[in-house]
Amino acid sequence: VKFRDDFPLPDTDWPPTREFWAAAARGELSVPRCDACARFVWYPDGACRWCGGGALTWTRVAGRGSLFSWSVVRRAFIPQFAADVPYVTGLVALEEDPAVRLVTRIVDADPAALRVDMEVRVVFRPLRFPDLARSVVAPMFTPLPA
Amino acid sequence: MPAPPADWGFPTPLEDVSRAIAIAGVGEADHTKASGRGPKEIAAQAIERALADAGLEAGDVDGLMYTPFDGQQFTAADFRAHFATTHEIWESTRGGGMVWAGSAPHEAALAIRAGRARTVLNVFSVAWATQRAEMMGGPGEVHAQELFKQNLEVPFGWFPQPVYFATIARRHMHEYGTTAAQLGAIAVACRRHANRTPTAVLHDKPLTLAQYLESPLLCDPFRKEDCCLISDGGGAYVMTSLERARDLRAPVIEVAGVGLGTSCTAAYWAQQGDITATPQVFAAPGGFRMAGLTPADVDVLACYDPFTIVSLMQIEDIGFCAKGEGGPFVEGTTLHFDGGRLPYNTHGGMLSHAYVLGIAHVVELVRQLRGEAAAQVPDARVAVYGGYTGPQASTLVLRRV
Repeated sequence: VKFRDDFPLPDTDWPPTREFWAAAARGELSVPRCDACARFVWYPDGACRWCGGGALTWTRVAGRGSLFSWSVVRRAFIPQFAADVPYVTGLVALEEDPAVRLVTRIVDADPAALRVDMEVRVVFRPLRFPDLARSVVAPMFTPLPA
Repeated sequence: MPAPPADWGFPTPLEDVSRAIAIAGVGEADHTKASGRGPKEIAAQAIERALADAGLEAGDVDGLMYTPFDGQQFTAADFRAHFATTHEIWESTRGGGMVWAGSAPHEAALAIRAGRARTVLNVFSVAWATQRAEMMGGPGEVHAQELFKQNLEVPFGWFPQPVYFATIARRHMHEYGTTAAQLGAIAVACRRHANRTPTAVLHDKPLTLAQYLESPLLCDPFRKEDCCLISDGGGAYVMTSLERARDLRAPVIEVAGVGLGTSCTAAYWAQQGDITATPQVFAAPGGFRMAGLTPADVDVLACYDPFTIVSLMQIEDIGFCAKGEGGPFVEGTTLHFDGGRLPYNTHGGMLSHAYVLGIAHVVELVRQLRGEAAAQVPDARVAVYGGYTGPQASTLVLRRV
């Protein structure tokens, strides 16, 4: 199997998630919302997972949420992440609808100080990998001041 | 945080096949670290051993089940080529390991009942230890190819599977107070069983709870011993009608019940409504109902166990204890073969026996019910396999007749 040359960067042209990455490049967090039932839909897999509606509109959200859970990855499972360890990756539940859990990085935080359900806010940082010239701006999260 | 929706998954109603078929032969290939063998060569060895165990010839096999997912499994064409036969073989791609190691008997029973086959083999093999370099083959590669994962998960380093399940484990710890020592009790019980089982990859490596707790964190809260092996190996089992099984050499082990449950969010664990549960909550009730049994009747349990937390969640979700009480339940010797309340993964499971994706779990349960296991549970009469893929779970209830 052949992976894209810039794996593990996202393919910012892949239609289902193109707007997510385009919004991040503008410094915005955007998630599709169902025109029929008004619920947020994640992942953007064609139809609304709640009502089956087919019309989804990408909608800017505030970028606040709660830290649902995380792991501190201390060993790189694939060589592309060797320069990043240890890093914190996990799930943030969106304030607008906690059923939407964004996979993200937690940055600017002491891993020992993280708590489940603590409030976090979005920050935009580049994803960079060794040997790849391109970088992609991504929504990451940081704890709100207590 | 609102309560998780009860409708995050659903049971699949299955036609009653209780007491229709039996597992009449089992075989496992050599389980090893990287061996240089290919998956088809491994499968052939497992099949030869299963047929010898059943006292059947290759020409008796007129049904073959495997999984299509990696394109490397042993097909009917491979069977005919390997055994130099030309006969007709009914073929189904709804077999193999994982969830299908538990649900294949349902499909086989329907085929046997309909007269499409008399003797059906289910087979699964992997050579992931040999292929693991650079993710060519193996569990990581399968997931890295999935485009939502590739574009929304992998870039953040939420990959591969140990990272997902470490995240799930931390949430389970938060919601229910589960501790590292409780996860460790599962790893220690499985290793103790592997130490008794000559075919286990980690047969010669003991593990104490103190050693577990002192070992470094890999992706916390997980340590290495929370995670399954990567192995070369495989297994096969032979199914036939209950009536015909009585004429074969092995003790009759009947398929008493099969259940199947599905998660609406497929393999996107991040979005699963109740992230600290498995679709086993939807599978198990139907499997036990078909069998006319309850979890209290189970003498030995084997669950698909890629990580300690998946064992813990399935033990809860099948109903051996209340949801959230799995941690205290598994402490101490509960899971041990010799006197434990719920002997569990008595061959060592995927943590300590081999990562052959559940096929060896079913082989082990059949041996337990025959009284032929290495770590034998005294007088085991009812055994359950909890199959799992993430998107689906299966519950296979086996009973000694």
